[in-house]
Amino acid sequence: MTNASRPVIEVADLVKVYPGGRKAEPVRAVDGITFSVGEGEFFGFLGPNGAGKTTTIRILATLLRSTSGRAVVAGHDVARDPAVVRRLVGFAMQTVAIDIMGTGRENLELIGRLHRVPGPELRRRVDELLELMGLAEVGGKLAGTYSGGMKRRLDLASALVHRPAVLFLDEPTEGLDPQSRTTLWEELLRVRAAGTTMFLTTHYMEEADRLCDRLAIIDHGRIAVEGSPAELKRGIGSDTVSLTLGGDGADGLAAAQESVDRLLAGFEPVASLERTAVGVTLAVRDAHAAIPEVLRRLDGDGVRVAGLSMAEPTLDDVFLRHTGTRIRQEAADRPIDMGWM
Amino acid sequence: MSALAAVGWEARWLGLRTIRRFYRVPANPVSIVLFPLIQLFVFSQLFKDIVQLPGFAGESSYLAYLAPGQIVFTVFFAVSWIGGNLLYDYRSGFLDKLRVAPVNRYSILAGELVPLFLECAVMAGTILALSVLLGAQIATGLPGAILILVIAGAFGVAWSGVSFVPALITKNEQATGTLSLLLFPIAFMSTAFVPVALMPDWLQTVNRFNPISYVIEAIRVLMSVGFDWPIIGQAAVAIVILGVLLQGATLAAFRRLTN
Repeated sequence: MTNASRPVIEVADLVKVYPGGRKAEPVRAVDGITFSVGEGEFFGFLGPNGAGKTTTIRILATLLRSTSGRAVVAGHDVARDPAVVRRLVGFAMQTVAIDIMGTGRENLELIGRLHRVPGPELRRRVDELLELMGLAEVGGKLAGTYSGGMKRRLDLASALVHRPAVLFLDEPTEGLDPQSRTTLWEELLRVRAAGTTMFLTTHYMEEADRLCDRLAIIDHGRIAVEGSPAELKRGIGSDTVSLTLGGDGADGLAAAQESVDRLLAGFEPVASLERTAVGVTLAVRDAHAAIPEVLRRLDGDGVRVAGLSMAEPTLDDVFLRHTGTRIRQEAADRPIDMGWM
Repeated sequence: MSALAAVGWEARWLGLRTIRRFYRVPANPVSIVLFPLIQLFVFSQLFKDIVQLPGFAGESSYLAYLAPGQIVFTVFFAVSWIGGNLLYDYRSGFLDKLRVAPVNRYSILAGELVPLFLECAVMAGTILALSVLLGAQIATGLPGAILILVIAGAFGVAWSGVSFVPALITKNEQATGTLSLLLFPIAFMSTAFVPVALMPDWLQTVNRFNPISYVIEAIRVLMSVGFDWPIIGQAAVAIVILGVLLQGATLAAFRRLTN
């Protein structure tokens, strides 16, 4: 038994530099990352494409060598003992990697055989996994005929057939429709409930929020901040209050916005005010308690509040605070390597 | 488990997957039988009367002369696209999935090469069977026929490097096809169709270094003469040299791709 207090994944000062070529500058994809993940924990990297998430996870899964730094997974150094690490981890990659000319069952059996799972035990586990992933009825059909969501679930099953201590998930729901995504989340939580340590990378805030016990926000190869989703959101310190203001035409709206600005000046919980196309957006500390007072102050002086909505901070706000950009705006996909161009 | 037994175990399951992938596309099993048959039929008709030329001393029919050349020629063509399989797995991410599993790199190549050996042997067997059906005789009988299949399979495995290397270096299917096309003249300039005595001087010199001709000549003696070990030995040496060079290059390219 592993000591519960000992981390299952330990990473220290990890650096990966992709060498440049004739036309390309060297890229520092991972720039000194340090973190650890405890046994049974669901840990995530949240960040935009190109932030260094996939590079890190590929180093941890022994597919890539780091330039410097140290990574220990399930008690073994990934650079020194890759063969041992491979027996102990499962990896569901960003692109679904299944044999489309094999059936679902054959796909799982091949990976199980390569992991030396003995025959009778393998058949039992394959049945169990097909059932768990909702593929029992199509287990005998060619994987090439599966829908996108089914292929994802088969891919995930194939990363579990040898009962890994650590499961790596690189953008596990990329390209799935919302319903398939929710189904897959449920399955991931079920896998985790069985005691597997999970390491996830994603650029979906909702996914990180929903699945991770703890996450690190990663940008430009560095960890910007780390903590539980709740902690991180609390750290933002304020909620967002959007007011829709009544007012005739552009002049009326501008005048109303001016009044709001004046009336709220000096009211301590309001940290900032931003003008929008229909009114104003306020950053308010502890908005639930402060809203009545905000409305009382706005009452009178001809300001008509036509609508009000309140939102607690999201991980996107956390991302903005710590990196200065929003995740969505950073969808900078890197082109694939053609080999000679 | 010893390293060799481990590679054997992994290659067995990967090889079974390769075979499955092959026969589940109906065009594949059909074409490995049809392709050699069409080759043999077309060329035997095309060059029907060529045996009357003086260089063919001792050959009773062009069919007996042609069949060995066709075996090697067919294998030569058949392996020219094999690199595409590995490329497909590379692109789909399946290769990475195998690398995350405790699998030796050599096992992954062996999982492609063992079924390739069988495929080449089946094609050679098809040609032999048709030739016998059409009246040709195998001077060395069944043992000779089996040796012919082994030579064909071994040659296919060795020669497949000409497809693996460009596939692994360019990572592009079209480039793989066109690059291996550049080597076709080597097959046409061999003794597959005409005896070396009928070739111009320069071609005779070139053929002294053409490994394909050595392999063809070995199969030819097995078919029409007997167990002429020096000639069979030369073919074995040619196959081993080809294999070491081409599969060595394949391994180097494969290591580079997967590092």
